[in-house]
Amino acid sequence: MSEPLIYTLILLVYLGALVLVGFITGRRTKSVEDFYIGGRQIGPWVTALSFVAAYFSSVVIVGGGGFGYMFGMATLWIGAINVLLGCTVAWIVLGPRIRTFTQRLKTMTIPGFIGERFQSDFACIFSALIIVLFMIIYNVSILKGMGHIFEVLMNVPYVYGVLISCIIILFYVSIGGYLAVVWTSFIQAWVMGIGLILLTIFAVQRVGGLTAVNQSLGSIDAGLINTPGTWGWPGLISYALIVSFGVWGMPQLVVRFYSIKNLKVLKIGTVVATIGTCMALLPYFNGAIARTLFPSLANPDLAIPTLVKTTLSPFGAAIVLAGVVAAGMSTFSSVLIILSSSMVQDLLRRGMKGEITRRKSLFWGKIGSLVIGFVSLLIALRPPALVLTLTAFAWAVIASTTLWPILFGIYWKGATRWGCVASMIGGCMTALFWMAAGKPFGVHGFIPGIIVGFVLMVLVSRATPKFSPEHINQIWG
Amino acid sequence: MGPFNTPWLTFIAWIVALGCVLFSIIWALCIFKPGDEDE
Repeated sequence: MSEPLIYTLILLVYLGALVLVGFITGRRTKSVEDFYIGGRQIGPWVTALSFVAAYFSSVVIVGGGGFGYMFGMATLWIGAINVLLGCTVAWIVLGPRIRTFTQRLKTMTIPGFIGERFQSDFACIFSALIIVLFMIIYNVSILKGMGHIFEVLMNVPYVYGVLISCIIILFYVSIGGYLAVVWTSFIQAWVMGIGLILLTIFAVQRVGGLTAVNQSLGSIDAGLINTPGTWGWPGLISYALIVSFGVWGMPQLVVRFYSIKNLKVLKIGTVVATIGTCMALLPYFNGAIARTLFPSLANPDLAIPTLVKTTLSPFGAAIVLAGVVAAGMSTFSSVLIILSSSMVQDLLRRGMKGEITRRKSLFWGKIGSLVIGFVSLLIALRPPALVLTLTAFAWAVIASTTLWPILFGIYWKGATRWGCVASMIGGCMTALFWMAAGKPFGVHGFIPGIIVGFVLMVLVSRATPKFSPEHINQIWG
Repeated sequence: MGPFNTPWLTFIAWIVALGCVLFSIIWALCIFKPGDEDE
């Protein structure tokens, strides 16, 4: 069987499974709560593994390999901090309270929670606007990454890669909503995990074992096996913190805690998610291995694709390819459902003061996800320079806006409406201007963004009127 | 040097990931009590 045929067959089986999940979950999606948070009935395995799949996009796998290739084994620390802060601590700190509080406040979205917790329409609408605007840009970057992956790994023209991925995702998200997103992400997490483990085993074997990998890397440059190595502590630590702590403010991940069946589910979920997130170390590790095999690649981002193509059989390579595509699709679909919920539930319903009925909400949710998907598709087909520039801002701005209102909202009874508003505006604007100023001192905009947001939340909350005990008791119980 | 000729500081990254798995199991079994917060 020829190589392109094997690639196509494996990919068709995988994409066919996603379409099937779309049909099945579509039948179970009857209410707006089903569409956005799966009726709060999602079990531990699906919640945990869909969290892992949404965490890692294809850009992370290919880009992580690039970092491993450039900076060596020290980048394993990025994966380790992902597991520690981005997963285990996040699940323990955020999970139980988010699940309990959002149930008590009867909210289905992050802006909805912020609006109800801080009794502020402005905070809800502002966070929804930031999420809609910057998440579309983030979505475009994911779609663009997937187009390039099809191009590099399968020689499929960029435009077709973008079209194939986007249309299939739009199909299952608009039919099955959140249920389709989590179940497809569950499948995608397995495909990603199996693909990465396969690649790691064969790549280590090819070099001659783990000791040989380290000896070979060390002979190129001792900095490639040492920590912090050639990258240095500031770069390594700040990057690891951004991609780990930043996720605490990312709606597509936090919403996983809304949808879990009950708090007992969190126990198994935390363990499963932690084990799943450990795959975060593998792209960096494989990138470093690629350095020993191909020390003079023109572009570090080609490390994983080149390693896949030259190390695995066509069948194995096709599975890894499906894993990389899966990583992109799961993140894109998770972001899409968040965008639809923010637009319909927070902007449209709140803006129209609840004049849209729950039944119509479901209809508009489906239409919303289609519209946003097509907008992302159109931009991704020929992304203008501004979108590419703003992509770097998106993540920092969203996390700087929502992180403290979420965290203080569930842990500090003294956090006030004005503290929340000041923190959101201050954090968002600081991140935006810092990035626009070209990241002074080499510091990513997320860091000053969260520092300003934190200070404003504490200072303004102390200086402004507290919430009534009734409101606090309603949330804390 | 640690196992497989890996410098210890680099090798600890793997240990941190493994430690998180162990800690999550201990948290789930012994520390986290859903209690009456569960609704």
